Amino acid sequence: MEKILEVKNLTKRFKQIAVNNISFDVEKGNVYGLLGPNGSGKSTTFGMLLSTINPTSGSWKWFGKEGTDTDTLKRIGAIIEQPNFYPYLSAEKNLEIVATIKGTPTQRIDQVLETVNLLARKKDAFSTYSLGMKQRLAIASALLANPEVLILDEPTNGLDPEGIIQIRDIINSIAKSGTTIIVASHLLDEIEKICSHVIVLKHGTAIYSGSVDAMSNTKGFFELKSDDATALISVLNSLSIFSSVKEKDQLVIAQISQDISASELNKKLFEKGIFLSHLTKKKESLETQFLELVKQSNS
Amino acid sequence: MIRLLKLEYLKNLNYRPFKIFALLYFIVLIGLLFIGLVDFDILGIKVNLKEQGMYNFPGVWNFTTYIVGLLKIFLGCIIVFSICQEFSNRMFKQNLIDGLSREEFIFSKLLTILVFTGFSTLLVFIIGFILGKSYSATQESGLIFKEIYFIFNYFLKLFTFFSFLMFLSILFRKSIFVFLGFFMFWFVEKIMIGVETFGIQHHITELEKAKVLNTTTFLTDYLPLESMSNLIPNPLVRTSMAQMLGMEFKFQYPIGSVIACVIWSIVFISSSYYILKKKDW
Repeated sequence: MEKILEVKNLTKRFKQIAVNNISFDVEKGNVYGLLGPNGSGKSTTFGMLLSTINPTSGSWKWFGKEGTDTDTLKRIGAIIEQPNFYPYLSAEKNLEIVATIKGTPTQRIDQVLETVNLLARKKDAFSTYSLGMKQRLAIASALLANPEVLILDEPTNGLDPEGIIQIRDIINSIAKSGTTIIVASHLLDEIEKICSHVIVLKHGTAIYSGSVDAMSNTKGFFELKSDDATALISVLNSLSIFSSVKEKDQLVIAQISQDISASELNKKLFEKGIFLSHLTKKKESLETQFLELVKQSNS
Repeated sequence: MIRLLKLEYLKNLNYRPFKIFALLYFIVLIGLLFIGLVDFDILGIKVNLKEQGMYNFPGVWNFTTYIVGLLKIFLGCIIVFSICQEFSNRMFKQNLIDGLSREEFIFSKLLTILVFTGFSTLLVFIIGFILGKSYSATQESGLIFKEIYFIFNYFLKLFTFFSFLMFLSILFRKSIFVFLGFFMFWFVEKIMIGVETFGIQHHITELEKAKVLNTTTFLTDYLPLESMSNLIPNPLVRTSMAQMLGMEFKFQYPIGSVIACVIWSIVFISSSYYILKKKDW
Protein backbone atom coordinates (compact mmCIF):
# COMPACT_ATOMS: atom_id res chain seq x y z
CA MET A 1 0.00 0.00 0.00
CA GLU A 2 1.28 3.45 -0.91
CA LYS A 3 2.09 5.56 2.09
CA ILE A 4 0.76 9.10 2.01
CA LEU A 5 2.17 10.13 5.35
CA GLU A 6 4.73 8.64 7.70
CA VAL A 7 5.13 10.26 11.10
CA LYS A 8 8.08 9.33 13.29
CA ASN A 9 8.53 10.27 16.94
CA LEU A 10 6.82 13.59 16.58
CA THR A 11 7.03 15.71 19.73
CA LYS A 12 5.88 19.21 20.58
CA ARG A 13 6.54 20.90 23.85
CA PHE A 14 4.91 24.24 24.62
CA LYS A 15 5.12 25.02 28.31
CA GLN A 16 4.19 21.43 28.87
CA ILE A 17 4.22 18.53 26.50
CA ALA A 18 1.42 18.70 23.91
CA VAL A 19 2.37 15.88 21.58
CA ASN A 20 4.58 13.16 22.93
CA ASN A 21 6.63 11.02 20.61
CA ILE A 22 3.86 9.85 18.32
CA SER A 23 4.37 7.73 15.22
CA PHE A 24 1.86 6.53 12.68
CA ASP A 25 1.44 5.88 8.98
CA VAL A 26 -1.37 6.89 6.68
CA GLU A 27 -2.03 4.70 3.68
CA LYS A 28 -3.61 5.80 0.46
CA GLY A 29 -7.37 5.57 0.10
CA ASN A 30 -8.27 5.00 3.75
CA VAL A 31 -10.20 7.20 6.13
CA TYR A 32 -8.26 7.80 9.32
CA GLY A 33 -9.67 9.06 12.55
CA LEU A 34 -7.58 10.97 15.02
CA LEU A 35 -9.42 10.36 18.22
CA GLY A 36 -8.98 11.93 21.59
CA PRO A 37 -10.57 14.24 24.12
CA ASN A 38 -10.19 18.01 23.93
CA GLY A 39 -6.60 19.02 24.57
CA SER A 40 -5.12 15.65 23.66
CA GLY A 41 -2.91 17.13 20.94
CA LYS A 42 -4.96 16.56 17.78
CA SER A 43 -4.80 20.12 16.49
CA THR A 44 -1.16 20.50 17.48
CA THR A 45 -0.32 17.38 15.49
CA PHE A 46 -2.13 18.76 12.46
CA GLY A 47 -0.47 22.14 12.97
CA MET A 48 2.97 20.57 12.76
CA LEU A 49 2.09 18.42 9.75
CA LEU A 50 0.73 21.53 8.01
CA SER A 51 3.81 23.66 8.78
CA THR A 52 2.08 26.20 11.02
CA ILE A 53 3.71 24.90 14.22
CA ASN A 54 7.40 24.20 14.60
CA PRO A 55 7.96 20.71 16.06
CA THR A 56 10.24 20.22 19.06
CA SER A 57 11.58 16.98 17.62
CA GLY A 58 10.66 14.18 15.30
CA SER A 59 10.12 13.97 11.58
CA TRP A 60 7.56 13.09 8.97
CA LYS A 61 7.24 12.46 5.27
CA TRP A 62 4.41 13.57 3.02
CA PHE A 63 4.26 11.53 -0.18
CA GLY A 64 7.71 10.17 0.64
CA LYS A 65 9.22 13.66 0.89
CA GLU A 66 10.71 14.94 4.15
CA GLY A 67 8.76 17.69 5.95
CA THR A 68 6.07 19.98 4.58
CA ASP A 69 6.81 22.46 1.82
CA THR A 70 4.41 24.63 -0.15
CA ASP A 71 4.22 22.14 -3.03
CA THR A 72 3.12 19.47 -0.59
CA LEU A 73 0.54 21.80 0.93
CA LYS A 74 -0.94 22.39 -2.49
CA ARG A 75 -1.70 18.66 -2.70
CA ILE A 76 -3.47 18.73 0.67
CA GLY A 77 -6.86 20.15 1.47
CA ALA A 78 -7.24 21.10 5.12
CA ILE A 79 -9.70 22.62 7.52
CA ILE A 80 -8.47 23.29 11.00
CA GLU A 81 -10.35 24.15 14.16
CA GLN A 82 -12.77 26.61 12.63
CA PRO A 83 -13.50 27.92 9.17
CA ASN A 84 -11.15 30.80 8.40
CA PHE A 85 -12.06 33.20 5.63
CA TYR A 86 -11.91 36.92 4.97
CA PRO A 87 -15.22 37.93 6.59
CA TYR A 88 -15.76 40.95 4.33
CA LEU A 89 -15.37 38.96 1.10
CA SER A 90 -17.91 36.77 -0.68
CA ALA A 91 -17.52 32.99 -0.82
CA GLU A 92 -16.52 33.30 -4.45
CA LYS A 93 -13.79 35.89 -3.78
CA ASN A 94 -12.50 33.88 -0.83
CA LEU A 95 -12.18 30.79 -2.99
CA GLU A 96 -10.51 32.90 -5.67
CA ILE A 97 -7.84 33.76 -3.10
CA VAL A 98 -7.37 30.09 -2.23
CA ALA A 99 -7.14 29.25 -5.94
CA THR A 100 -4.53 31.98 -6.41
CA ILE A 101 -2.44 30.63 -3.53
CA LYS A 102 -2.73 27.04 -4.71
CA GLY A 103 -2.19 27.99 -8.33
CA THR A 104 -5.29 26.20 -9.56
CA PRO A 105 -7.73 27.50 -12.16
CA THR A 106 -10.80 29.31 -10.82
CA GLN A 107 -13.21 27.29 -12.97
CA ARG A 108 -13.65 24.72 -10.23
CA ILE A 109 -15.06 27.27 -7.79
CA ASP A 110 -18.66 26.83 -8.90
CA GLN A 111 -18.25 23.08 -8.97
CA VAL A 112 -17.04 22.80 -5.35
CA LEU A 113 -19.66 25.27 -4.18
CA GLU A 114 -22.25 23.04 -5.83
CA THR A 115 -20.83 20.00 -4.00
CA VAL A 116 -21.42 21.65 -0.63
CA ASN A 117 -24.68 23.21 -1.75
CA LEU A 118 -23.63 26.85 -1.47
CA LEU A 119 -23.74 27.91 -5.10
CA ALA A 120 -26.81 30.09 -4.60
CA ARG A 121 -25.04 32.08 -1.86
CA LYS A 122 -21.69 32.54 -3.58
CA LYS A 123 -21.99 36.32 -3.89
CA ASP A 124 -22.77 36.87 -0.20
CA ALA A 125 -20.14 38.00 2.28
CA PHE A 126 -18.71 35.24 4.44
CA SER A 127 -19.69 37.14 7.59
CA THR A 128 -23.38 36.65 6.75
CA TYR A 129 -23.08 32.84 6.75
CA SER A 130 -24.40 30.51 9.43
CA LEU A 131 -21.95 28.21 11.18
CA GLY A 132 -23.05 25.24 9.08
CA MET A 133 -22.55 27.19 5.88
CA LYS A 134 -19.13 28.37 7.02
CA GLN A 135 -18.12 24.81 7.74
CA ARG A 136 -19.35 23.68 4.33
CA LEU A 137 -17.50 26.53 2.64
CA ALA A 138 -14.36 25.35 4.43
CA ILE A 139 -14.86 21.91 2.92
CA ALA A 140 -15.41 23.46 -0.51
CA SER A 141 -12.18 25.38 -0.09
CA ALA A 142 -10.30 22.25 0.94
CA LEU A 143 -11.63 20.44 -2.13
CA LEU A 144 -10.81 23.25 -4.53
CA ALA A 145 -7.45 22.00 -5.73
CA ASN A 146 -8.49 18.35 -6.07
CA PRO A 147 -6.41 17.29 -3.06
CA GLU A 148 -4.91 13.84 -2.66
CA VAL A 149 -5.38 14.07 1.09
CA LEU A 150 -8.06 15.83 3.05
CA ILE A 151 -7.42 16.90 6.64
CA LEU A 152 -10.45 17.76 8.71
CA ASP A 153 -10.16 18.97 12.27
CA GLU A 154 -13.49 18.71 14.11
CA PRO A 155 -15.55 19.24 10.95
CA THR A 156 -18.87 18.99 12.77
CA ASN A 157 -17.96 21.01 15.83
CA GLY A 158 -20.86 23.17 16.98
CA LEU A 159 -23.23 22.12 14.22
CA ASP A 160 -26.87 21.13 14.63
CA PRO A 161 -27.93 17.53 13.82
CA GLU A 162 -28.92 18.44 10.29
CA GLY A 163 -25.60 20.18 9.69
CA ILE A 164 -23.74 17.19 11.10
CA ILE A 165 -25.54 14.82 8.71
CA GLN A 166 -24.85 17.12 5.76
CA ILE A 167 -21.14 17.26 6.57
CA ARG A 168 -20.99 13.52 7.17
CA ASP A 169 -22.63 12.81 3.81
CA ILE A 170 -20.17 15.09 2.07
CA ILE A 171 -17.23 13.38 3.78
CA ASN A 172 -18.58 9.95 2.91
CA SER A 173 -18.98 10.80 -0.75
CA ILE A 174 -15.46 12.23 -0.86
CA ALA A 175 -14.12 9.08 0.78
CA LYS A 176 -15.87 6.96 -1.86
CA SER A 177 -14.05 8.86 -4.58
CA GLY A 178 -10.79 7.42 -3.22
CA THR A 179 -9.41 10.52 -1.50
CA THR A 180 -7.43 9.77 1.63
CA ILE A 181 -8.99 11.50 4.60
CA ILE A 182 -7.64 12.21 8.07
CA VAL A 183 -10.34 13.45 10.38
CA ALA A 184 -9.88 14.53 13.98
CA SER A 185 -12.75 14.45 16.39
CA HIS A 186 -13.62 13.91 19.98
CA LEU A 187 -16.96 12.49 18.87
CA LEU A 188 -16.57 8.72 18.82
CA ASP A 189 -19.80 8.20 17.03
CA GLU A 190 -18.49 10.42 14.27
CA ILE A 191 -15.29 8.43 13.80
CA GLU A 192 -17.09 5.11 14.02
CA LYS A 193 -19.39 6.08 11.18
CA ILE A 194 -16.76 7.20 8.73
CA CYS A 195 -13.32 5.84 9.59
CA SER A 196 -11.59 2.61 8.75
CA HIS A 197 -8.52 3.34 10.86
CA VAL A 198 -7.99 5.19 14.11
CA ILE A 199 -5.18 6.79 16.03
CA VAL A 200 -6.15 7.33 19.64
CA LEU A 201 -4.44 10.19 21.42
CA LYS A 202 -4.37 10.84 25.12
CA HIS A 203 -2.33 13.61 26.75
CA GLY A 204 -0.31 13.84 23.55
CA THR A 205 0.55 10.15 23.47
CA ALA A 206 -0.76 7.76 20.83
CA ILE A 207 -2.25 4.88 22.79
CA TYR A 208 -3.57 3.06 19.74
CA SER A 209 -2.95 3.14 16.03
CA GLY A 210 -4.54 0.68 13.61
CA SER A 211 -7.81 -0.41 12.08
CA VAL A 212 -11.08 0.20 13.87
CA ASP A 213 -11.88 -3.51 13.82
CA ALA A 214 -8.63 -4.52 15.45
CA MET A 215 -8.92 -1.86 18.11
CA SER A 216 -10.19 -4.27 20.72
CA ASN A 217 -9.14 -7.87 20.68
CA THR A 218 -12.32 -9.04 22.40
CA LYS A 219 -14.65 -11.11 20.28
CA GLY A 220 -17.74 -9.29 21.46
CA PHE A 221 -20.43 -10.34 23.90
CA PHE A 222 -23.91 -11.84 24.18
CA GLU A 223 -26.91 -10.21 25.74
CA LEU A 224 -29.27 -12.86 27.06
CA LYS A 225 -32.48 -12.98 28.98
CA SER A 226 -34.39 -15.89 30.45
CA ASP A 227 -37.14 -16.30 33.04
CA ASP A 228 -34.72 -18.12 35.32
CA ALA A 229 -31.69 -15.86 35.40
CA THR A 230 -29.75 -17.86 38.03
CA ALA A 231 -30.04 -21.09 36.06
CA LEU A 232 -28.97 -19.26 32.93
CA ILE A 233 -25.87 -17.84 34.60
CA SER A 234 -24.77 -21.18 36.03
CA VAL A 235 -25.22 -22.92 32.66
CA LEU A 236 -23.30 -20.18 30.88
CA ASN A 237 -20.47 -20.52 33.38
CA SER A 238 -20.39 -24.26 32.94
CA LEU A 239 -19.92 -23.90 29.16
CA SER A 240 -16.51 -22.25 29.84
CA ILE A 241 -16.43 -20.35 26.60
CA PHE A 242 -16.98 -16.98 28.26
CA SER A 243 -14.44 -14.84 30.04
CA SER A 244 -17.07 -13.30 32.25
CA VAL A 245 -20.79 -13.59 32.89
CA LYS A 246 -22.55 -10.73 34.59
CA GLU A 247 -26.06 -9.61 35.24
CA LYS A 248 -26.90 -6.06 34.29
CA ASP A 249 -30.28 -4.34 34.01
CA GLN A 250 -32.17 -7.63 33.93
CA LEU A 251 -29.95 -8.79 31.09
CA VAL A 252 -27.14 -11.29 31.36
CA ILE A 253 -23.96 -10.12 29.65
CA ALA A 254 -21.52 -12.83 28.62
CA GLN A 255 -18.08 -11.83 27.28
CA ILE A 256 -16.96 -14.25 24.59
CA SER A 257 -13.53 -15.83 24.88
CA GLN A 258 -14.09 -18.66 22.39
CA ASP A 259 -16.00 -17.63 19.30
CA ILE A 260 -19.48 -19.08 19.00
CA SER A 261 -22.45 -18.08 16.87
CA ALA A 262 -25.76 -17.02 18.37
CA SER A 263 -27.67 -19.99 16.97
CA GLU A 264 -25.08 -22.45 18.29
CA LEU A 265 -25.32 -20.94 21.76
CA ASN A 266 -29.10 -21.01 21.59
CA LYS A 267 -28.99 -24.68 20.67
CA LYS A 268 -26.65 -25.50 23.57
CA LEU A 269 -28.79 -23.66 26.07
CA PHE A 270 -31.94 -25.33 24.74
CA GLU A 271 -30.32 -28.72 25.25
CA LYS A 272 -29.68 -27.74 28.90
CA GLY A 273 -33.30 -26.78 29.30
CA ILE A 274 -32.86 -23.00 29.23
CA PHE A 275 -35.35 -21.03 27.17
CA LEU A 276 -34.31 -17.59 26.10
CA SER A 277 -36.57 -14.62 25.72
CA HIS A 278 -33.74 -12.45 24.38
CA LEU A 279 -30.47 -13.18 22.63
CA THR A 280 -28.16 -10.76 20.79
CA LYS A 281 -24.51 -10.96 19.82
CA LYS A 282 -22.80 -7.59 19.99
CA LYS A 283 -19.48 -5.99 19.38
CA GLU A 284 -18.28 -3.32 21.75
CA SER A 285 -19.04 0.16 20.47
CA LEU A 286 -16.09 2.39 19.72
CA GLU A 287 -16.99 4.31 22.81
CA THR A 288 -16.56 1.31 25.09
CA GLN A 289 -13.39 0.32 23.32
CA PHE A 290 -12.07 3.82 23.65
CA LEU A 291 -12.85 4.02 27.34
CA GLU A 292 -11.28 0.58 27.76
CA LEU A 293 -8.10 1.79 26.05
CA VAL A 294 -7.97 4.91 28.17
CA LYS A 295 -8.41 2.78 31.29
CA GLN A 296 -5.66 0.42 30.20
CA SER A 297 -3.26 3.23 29.54
CA ASN A 298 -3.98 4.67 32.96
CA SER A 299 -2.96 1.54 34.77
CA MET B 1 5.10 38.12 -8.45
CA ILE B 2 1.97 38.68 -10.54
CA ARG B 3 0.37 35.95 -8.43
CA LEU B 4 1.21 37.76 -5.19
CA LEU B 5 0.00 41.10 -6.55
CA LYS B 6 -3.26 39.47 -7.57
CA LEU B 7 -3.55 37.99 -4.11
CA GLU B 8 -3.09 41.36 -2.44
CA TYR B 9 -5.53 42.91 -4.87
CA LEU B 10 -8.19 40.31 -4.05
CA LYS B 11 -7.59 40.62 -0.32
CA ASN B 12 -7.65 44.40 -0.14
CA LEU B 13 -9.95 45.63 -2.85
CA ASN B 14 -13.11 45.09 -0.87
CA TYR B 15 -11.64 45.80 2.54
CA ARG B 16 -13.43 48.94 3.70
CA PRO B 17 -10.73 50.59 5.88
CA PHE B 18 -8.39 50.05 2.98
CA LYS B 19 -10.64 51.79 0.49
CA ILE B 20 -11.48 54.67 2.83
CA PHE B 21 -7.92 55.44 3.88
CA ALA B 22 -6.53 55.03 0.37
CA LEU B 23 -9.10 57.43 -1.03
CA LEU B 24 -8.63 59.87 1.82
CA TYR B 25 -4.87 59.75 1.45
CA PHE B 26 -4.77 60.53 -2.22
CA ILE B 27 -7.39 63.28 -1.99
CA VAL B 28 -5.59 65.01 0.87
CA LEU B 29 -2.23 64.46 -0.81
CA ILE B 30 -3.31 66.18 -4.01
CA GLY B 31 -5.03 68.90 -1.99
CA LEU B 32 -1.89 69.57 0.05
CA LEU B 33 0.26 69.91 -3.03
CA PHE B 34 -1.92 72.80 -4.16
CA ILE B 35 -1.80 74.42 -0.72
CA GLY B 36 0.57 77.11 -2.01
CA LEU B 37 -2.23 78.58 -4.07
CA VAL B 38 -4.28 79.38 -0.98
CA ASP B 39 -3.91 82.42 1.25
CA PHE B 40 -3.65 81.72 4.96
CA ASP B 41 -4.33 84.07 7.78
CA ILE B 42 -1.93 83.38 10.64
CA LEU B 43 -2.28 85.85 13.54
CA GLY B 44 -3.38 88.55 11.14
CA ILE B 45 -0.47 88.01 8.78
CA LYS B 46 -1.34 86.83 5.35
CA VAL B 47 0.74 83.89 4.31
CA ASN B 48 0.86 82.50 0.84
CA LEU B 49 3.25 79.61 0.41
CA LYS B 50 3.55 80.19 -3.30
CA GLU B 51 4.84 83.69 -2.64
CA GLN B 52 7.16 82.22 -0.02
CA GLY B 53 8.80 80.32 -2.83
CA MET B 54 7.18 76.93 -2.36
CA TYR B 55 6.98 76.25 -6.08
CA ASN B 56 10.35 77.68 -7.04
CA PHE B 57 12.81 75.30 -8.60
CA PRO B 58 14.71 73.58 -7.09
CA GLY B 59 13.14 74.18 -3.68
CA VAL B 60 9.80 72.84 -4.88
CA TRP B 61 11.07 69.28 -4.41
CA ASN B 62 11.95 70.00 -0.80
CA PHE B 63 8.66 71.76 -0.05
CA THR B 64 6.34 69.24 -1.69
CA THR B 65 8.01 66.10 -0.35
CA TYR B 66 8.20 67.56 3.15
CA ILE B 67 4.56 68.62 3.29
CA VAL B 68 3.22 65.46 1.71
CA GLY B 69 5.52 63.38 3.91
CA LEU B 70 3.47 64.46 6.91
CA LEU B 71 0.59 62.45 5.45
CA LYS B 72 2.34 59.15 5.49
CA ILE B 73 0.50 58.06 8.61
CA PHE B 74 -2.70 57.70 6.52
CA LEU B 75 -1.00 55.20 4.26
CA GLY B 76 0.58 53.72 7.35
CA CYS B 77 -2.90 53.01 8.73
CA ILE B 78 -3.76 51.08 5.59
CA ILE B 79 -0.63 48.98 5.90
CA VAL B 80 -1.25 48.35 9.61
CA PHE B 81 -4.93 47.48 9.22
CA SER B 82 -4.47 45.22 6.25
CA ILE B 83 -1.64 43.30 7.90
CA CYS B 84 -3.29 43.08 11.33
CA GLN B 85 -6.53 41.76 9.90
CA GLU B 86 -4.60 38.83 8.45
CA PHE B 87 -3.81 37.84 12.02
CA SER B 88 -7.07 38.78 13.72
CA ASN B 89 -9.05 36.82 11.12
CA ARG B 90 -6.54 33.97 11.42
CA MET B 91 -5.96 34.26 7.73
CA PHE B 92 -2.18 34.14 7.95
CA LYS B 93 -2.48 30.63 9.37
CA GLN B 94 -5.04 29.68 6.73
CA ASN B 95 -2.84 31.13 3.96
CA LEU B 96 0.06 29.01 5.24
CA ILE B 97 -2.10 25.89 5.20
CA ASP B 98 -3.34 26.66 1.72
CA GLY B 99 0.27 26.71 0.57
CA LEU B 100 1.54 30.28 0.80
CA SER B 101 5.06 30.39 2.22
CA ARG B 102 6.14 32.84 4.90
CA GLU B 103 8.53 34.41 2.40
CA GLU B 104 5.70 34.91 -0.06
CA PHE B 105 3.54 36.47 2.64
CA ILE B 106 6.18 39.07 3.51
CA PHE B 107 6.93 39.65 -0.13
CA SER B 108 3.26 40.21 -0.95
CA LYS B 109 3.01 42.80 1.81
CA LEU B 110 6.20 44.46 0.57
CA LEU B 111 4.68 44.60 -2.88
CA THR B 112 1.67 46.48 -1.50
CA ILE B 113 4.03 48.85 0.28
CA LEU B 114 6.04 49.34 -2.92
CA VAL B 115 2.94 49.97 -4.99
CA PHE B 116 1.68 52.61 -2.58
CA THR B 117 5.07 54.19 -2.06
CA GLY B 118 5.77 54.19 -5.78
CA PHE B 119 2.40 55.62 -6.70
CA SER B 120 2.64 58.31 -4.03
CA THR B 121 6.15 59.24 -5.15
CA LEU B 122 5.11 59.38 -8.78
CA LEU B 123 2.16 61.59 -7.94
CA VAL B 124 4.31 64.02 -5.96
CA PHE B 125 6.84 64.12 -8.76
CA ILE B 126 4.30 64.78 -11.50
CA ILE B 127 2.25 67.35 -9.61
CA GLY B 128 5.40 69.00 -8.20
CA PHE B 129 6.79 69.25 -11.69
CA ILE B 130 3.59 70.74 -13.12
CA LEU B 131 3.32 73.24 -10.27
CA GLY B 132 6.96 74.19 -10.63
CA LYS B 133 6.56 74.64 -14.35
CA SER B 134 3.52 76.84 -13.83
CA TYR B 135 4.59 78.95 -10.86
CA SER B 136 8.35 78.79 -10.38
CA ALA B 137 10.17 82.12 -10.48
CA THR B 138 12.95 80.49 -12.45
CA GLN B 139 12.67 78.03 -15.29
CA GLU B 140 16.41 77.55 -15.67
CA SER B 141 16.93 74.02 -16.86
CA GLY B 142 19.95 73.52 -14.61
CA LEU B 143 17.89 74.27 -11.52
CA ILE B 144 14.77 72.25 -12.31
CA PHE B 145 16.19 68.88 -11.38
CA LYS B 146 18.98 70.12 -9.11
CA GLU B 147 17.36 68.78 -5.95
CA ILE B 148 15.44 65.94 -7.53
CA TYR B 149 17.08 63.64 -4.96
CA PHE B 150 14.33 64.71 -2.57
CA ILE B 151 11.98 62.58 -4.64
CA PHE B 152 14.24 59.59 -4.08
CA ASN B 153 14.56 60.46 -0.39
CA TYR B 154 10.79 60.68 -0.17
CA PHE B 155 10.48 57.21 -1.63
CA LEU B 156 13.04 55.83 0.81
CA LYS B 157 11.44 57.64 3.73
CA LEU B 158 8.04 56.13 2.99
CA PHE B 159 9.44 52.69 2.33
CA THR B 160 11.41 52.61 5.58
CA PHE B 161 8.45 53.94 7.52
CA PHE B 162 6.10 51.30 6.12
CA SER B 163 8.62 48.53 6.65
CA PHE B 164 8.76 49.66 10.26
CA LEU B 165 4.96 49.55 10.52
CA MET B 166 4.88 46.14 8.87
CA PHE B 167 7.36 44.91 11.44
CA LEU B 168 5.28 46.33 14.31
CA SER B 169 2.10 44.83 12.82
CA ILE B 170 3.66 41.39 12.63
CA LEU B 171 5.11 41.80 16.12
CA PHE B 172 1.91 42.94 17.85
CA ARG B 173 -0.78 41.67 15.43
CA LYS B 174 -3.41 44.06 16.82
CA SER B 175 -3.67 47.53 15.31
CA ILE B 176 -4.23 49.26 18.64
CA PHE B 177 -1.00 47.78 20.02
CA VAL B 178 0.81 48.71 16.85
CA PHE B 179 -0.11 52.36 17.32
CA LEU B 180 0.74 52.27 21.02
CA GLY B 181 4.01 50.54 20.21
CA PHE B 182 4.78 53.13 17.59
CA PHE B 183 4.26 56.05 19.97
CA MET B 184 6.29 54.32 22.66
CA PHE B 185 9.09 53.85 20.17
CA TRP B 186 8.89 57.47 19.06
CA PHE B 187 8.94 58.60 22.70
CA VAL B 188 11.93 56.42 23.59
CA GLU B 189 13.80 57.69 20.55
CA LYS B 190 13.19 61.29 21.58
CA ILE B 191 14.42 60.55 25.11
CA MET B 192 17.56 58.91 23.78
CA ILE B 193 18.23 61.91 21.57
CA GLY B 194 17.75 64.18 24.58
CA VAL B 195 20.10 62.11 26.72
CA GLU B 196 22.83 62.03 24.09
CA THR B 197 22.58 65.74 23.37
CA PHE B 198 22.73 66.49 27.08
CA GLY B 199 25.68 64.11 27.54
CA ILE B 200 27.66 65.91 24.86
CA GLN B 201 26.68 69.44 25.79
CA HIS B 202 26.45 69.58 29.55
CA HIS B 203 30.13 70.26 30.23
CA ILE B 204 30.80 72.83 27.53
CA THR B 205 30.14 76.53 27.24
CA GLU B 206 27.20 78.11 25.44
CA LEU B 207 29.44 79.35 22.66
CA GLU B 208 30.81 75.95 21.87
CA LYS B 209 27.39 74.35 21.84
CA ALA B 210 26.39 75.69 18.44
CA LYS B 211 29.69 74.53 16.99
CA VAL B 212 29.38 71.07 18.53
CA LEU B 213 25.90 70.71 17.11
CA ASN B 214 27.28 71.15 13.62
CA THR B 215 30.45 69.14 13.89
CA THR B 216 29.68 66.17 16.15
CA THR B 217 28.04 63.09 14.80
CA PHE B 218 25.13 62.12 16.97
CA LEU B 219 24.61 58.38 17.21
CA THR B 220 20.92 58.95 17.82
CA ASP B 221 20.71 60.57 14.38
CA TYR B 222 20.79 57.06 13.02
CA LEU B 223 17.83 55.76 14.97
CA PRO B 224 15.01 54.71 12.60
CA LEU B 225 12.56 57.60 12.97
CA GLU B 226 15.31 60.19 13.24
CA SER B 227 17.15 59.01 10.15
CA MET B 228 13.84 58.96 8.25
CA SER B 229 13.11 62.55 9.23
CA ASN B 230 16.66 63.64 8.35
CA LEU B 231 16.09 62.57 4.76
CA ILE B 232 13.98 65.65 4.05
CA PRO B 233 14.79 68.81 6.06
CA ASN B 234 12.13 71.24 7.18
CA PRO B 235 11.90 73.75 4.32
CA LEU B 236 10.79 76.57 6.60
CA VAL B 237 14.18 78.27 6.38
CA ARG B 238 13.83 78.34 2.62
CA THR B 239 10.77 80.56 2.68
CA SER B 240 11.39 84.12 1.55
CA MET B 241 10.22 85.26 4.99
CA ALA B 242 12.99 83.31 6.70
CA GLN B 243 15.53 84.47 4.15
CA MET B 244 14.59 88.04 4.94
CA LEU B 245 15.19 87.33 8.61
CA GLY B 246 18.68 86.30 7.64
CA MET B 247 18.31 82.53 8.02
CA GLU B 248 20.46 80.54 5.76
CA PHE B 249 19.51 77.28 4.16
CA LYS B 250 22.33 74.84 4.58
CA PHE B 251 21.83 71.29 3.49
CA GLN B 252 24.21 68.52 2.83
CA TYR B 253 22.96 65.39 1.20
CA PRO B 254 22.27 63.09 4.19
CA ILE B 255 24.11 60.08 2.86
CA GLY B 256 24.46 58.72 6.41
CA SER B 257 20.71 58.80 6.92
CA VAL B 258 20.11 57.19 3.53
CA ILE B 259 22.37 54.30 4.47
CA ALA B 260 20.78 54.09 7.92
CA CYS B 261 17.29 53.91 6.35
CA VAL B 262 18.31 51.17 3.96
CA ILE B 263 19.84 49.20 6.83
CA TRP B 264 16.79 49.72 9.04
CA SER B 265 14.50 48.55 6.25
CA ILE B 266 16.52 45.38 5.91
CA VAL B 267 16.45 44.91 9.69
CA PHE B 268 12.66 45.37 9.85
CA ILE B 269 11.95 43.07 6.94
CA SER B 270 14.22 40.30 8.15
CA SER B 271 12.94 40.59 11.73
CA SER B 272 9.39 40.30 10.41
CA TYR B 273 10.36 37.14 8.62
CA TYR B 274 12.09 35.80 11.71
CA ILE B 275 8.95 36.32 13.81
CA LEU B 276 6.75 34.56 11.26
CA LYS B 277 9.22 31.69 11.13
CA LYS B 278 9.74 31.20 14.85
CA LYS B 279 6.23 31.63 16.17
CA ASP B 280 3.71 28.79 16.29
CA TRP B 281 0.50 29.71 14.48
